[in-house]
Amino acid sequence: MRLYDIVVLVTPDLTDEDAQKTLGDYRKILADGGAEFVKDESWGRRRMAFPIGRKRDAFYHHFQVKAEPALVSETERRLKLSDQIVRHLAVRADEELKRSAKMAVRIAKKAARRPPRPPASPEALAGKAAGPDAAPPDLPERSDS
Amino acid sequence: MMPPRSGGRSGSRDRDGKPSQRKKFFVRRRKVCKFCAEKLEYVDWKDVKLLQSFIPERGKILPRRISGTCALHQRKLQTAIKRARFVALLPYATD
Repeated sequence: MRLYDIVVLVTPDLTDEDAQKTLGDYRKILADGGAEFVKDESWGRRRMAFPIGRKRDAFYHHFQVKAEPALVSETERRLKLSDQIVRHLAVRADEELKRSAKMAVRIAKKAARRPPRPPASPEALAGKAAGPDAAPPDLPERSDS
Repeated sequence: MMPPRSGGRSGSRDRDGKPSQRKKFFVRRRKVCKFCAEKLEYVDWKDVKLLQSFIPERGKILPRRISGTCALHQRKLQTAIKRARFVALLPYATD
């Protein structure tokens, strides 16, 4: 099971109810395939940043599901076939989240390690202060070019 | 001299400071990566409001030399903006 973000854009030609109905079809496909819904929210009718297929608006809907890859590719195939769907995007989210969680832990660790350092830092600062003094001759050159 | 360990963060740039010696009136403010500062590790491509702040008038992606975003987050921001563009949340170009 993997976590996916699926955003679906439904034609503005439909009424609100019909749009919800078409979305319901896909919700059913996902649910029947054993997907777990984490998020299932409508963003309502929105103006698109640019027209797609002569249409300026679309009903946006966002599903966040835990599902098997095969199920998502099947859902995408059907989304592609439908005329009512202006556009859709399904992206895997768990890897990205996992990586960022890892990063957060690493940053927290670093922060925890930092406190004992300050006593040593004056020397480092002194070293740094000596560095830039030597540096200016080439620094202006860089900024000019 | 130790080489910087965890791939130069926003803090490792030593660009600021010195120019102010020549021009006393102009002190360059240090730019800090917004995502590092707010500890946002995950750049959400559905968060239009956030992404919009990195999209200037023309619709291009704001370079990190201007926004001050660190390399890691600029990369994440880039994919996020491109995804948002695909679903027409953000423009590819405006004039």
